[in-house]
Amino acid sequence: MLRTKITNRLLFVILLVIVPLTTINCQLATDGNILSSQNRLRFGNYLYHEKDYLRAADEFKEYLSSESNDTIVFRLANSYFQIGRYTEAANNFKGLFFGSQLSEEARLMFYESVFFQNDYKLFRVLADEQNFGSSLYGKDIERLKYISFFLDNSKLPEENLVLKNFPDSVQSRLLNFYQQKKFPKLKSITTSVILSTLIPGAGKIYTGEVGDGITSLIATALTAYLAITNFKADHQFRGWMFSGLAAFFYAGNIYGSAASAQIYNARIQFNFDNEVRLFFEHRNYFLPKIDY
Amino acid sequence: MKIRLRVIFFLFTFVLAVKAQDRLSIQLDFANNLFNNKQFYYAITEYKRLQFFDSTKTFNYEINYRIGECYKAGAKYDDAVKFFSLAELSARTDDELFDSKTQIIRTNILRRTSDRALQLCDELEKDQRFSGKKDQINYWRGWAYIFADKWDEAAKSFTRINSNHELKKLAEQTGKAKVSVTFAKVISYILPGAGAIYTGKFLSGLMSLGWNLLSGYWTINSFVENRVFDGVVVAELVWLRFYRGAIQNAEEFAQEKNLEVSNKSLRYLQNEYKGMKP
Repeated sequence: MLRTKITNRLLFVILLVIVPLTTINCQLATDGNILSSQNRLRFGNYLYHEKDYLRAADEFKEYLSSESNDTIVFRLANSYFQIGRYTEAANNFKGLFFGSQLSEEARLMFYESVFFQNDYKLFRVLADEQNFGSSLYGKDIERLKYISFFLDNSKLPEENLVLKNFPDSVQSRLLNFYQQKKFPKLKSITTSVILSTLIPGAGKIYTGEVGDGITSLIATALTAYLAITNFKADHQFRGWMFSGLAAFFYAGNIYGSAASAQIYNARIQFNFDNEVRLFFEHRNYFLPKIDY
Repeated sequence: MKIRLRVIFFLFTFVLAVKAQDRLSIQLDFANNLFNNKQFYYAITEYKRLQFFDSTKTFNYEINYRIGECYKAGAKYDDAVKFFSLAELSARTDDELFDSKTQIIRTNILRRTSDRALQLCDELEKDQRFSGKKDQINYWRGWAYIFADKWDEAAKSFTRINSNHELKKLAEQTGKAKVSVTFAKVISYILPGAGAIYTGKFLSGLMSLGWNLLSGYWTINSFVENRVFDGVVVAELVWLRFYRGAIQNAEEFAQEKNLEVSNKSLRYLQNEYKGMKP
């Protein structure tokens, strides 16, 4: 009985001393330092899921300075990708090309990173590079290559070569884009200028600016008419003033027609670019969704 | 034995709580230090880190409030409102609630959603818990009116605080210095160029008057000489052009002048006014 009592007391004293000590030690060892690698990783993952990619990237970078983890490298690269820092994203994805389980996904994301840098020529050179190719996502990369032809001024490849990479549901739409890109319906600046020289306003009507064209015609004709009638009524000052105005309107109408044709062509190009970009953006460039 | 076990358990939880609290307080101090040094990006990171590790949510109000302030300082007003709203939800006292609500008003003033700021001021005024804070509510209401370019209304709000309030005088002066856009247009209808002269653009006003007189003379002269078509065309193409131009100019000059007056007062508020600003 006495022995048990002594043992209990001894146990109590030991626990009294040990518990606080071990608690403190545990705190310091596990999450005592909120800037420890593991805590940085936990916090980084939280930020990543909150879509605070810039801060998540900082945390992952710190974590990776002392630890090695392919998933986190992928997340770091993807964080850069999400905030539009495509060069850094591409560099980090590249680091996973060899000896990583995420190699295939990293290759696809690498190509996406290069693609979104808008340097499509470089993208196409890299897409043809055999070393970087992906066996799993090769078709997606190939499709991306053909999409890039719609987004810059490069010469389009053969029609069937482009179209065969896309699903049936979008074939007619893409064929339409292809035709528009290859044979854009532009207006000739020379024709517009010649028309306006012959009949004031005709150049503008040719470029679709009917209202402006008719206004030009009326303004030029009326000021010329006023100049003549004022000369006839012997109002020299007014006659010369309206003559000057008529000449100004006539010259302005020719210049305006050239400008109008240029604006028309730029608008066609702009609308086409916008339409194409929206079409592909809406379909996420036919890319599979990848996230880790 | 049971008592001993309780003592050990108490000791265990106490040490754990004190240690965690201490650690979080250090983190809060660190984040506050970054905030005080205006390193707002890093301050947000550290506040968020603190929030992530503060499982007891002890510092939730301070964290959300400070993150809101950081975003506000970085002109990310939508994010700021979001975090001030979170601070509002985690407020523990009426004062904290009032502070977070006024911060939302102030952010709305800055992001020029003055109507929303005024609506929030009205809501705050109706709340019985804040009946002793009428002056502060009127103060921010006045600022909301200033940013809505309603200086006379702003003066009324500041008068409710103090009839000699510095901002009341400024708002009154600004209101008086402004010109009436409608009046400038109306007098230009009666006498072309008068609106421009009223807004201080004398040369432009006189030129406008001259052109109208000359084109009017040509029109009448054409009719007198029985050149009716000439008269109609000159009236339409020349006289009416100058007449309409004089009215449009009067409107633009008046708006420009009012903008100048408002900007001058806003510049004063930004650079020289010592009181609280949104």
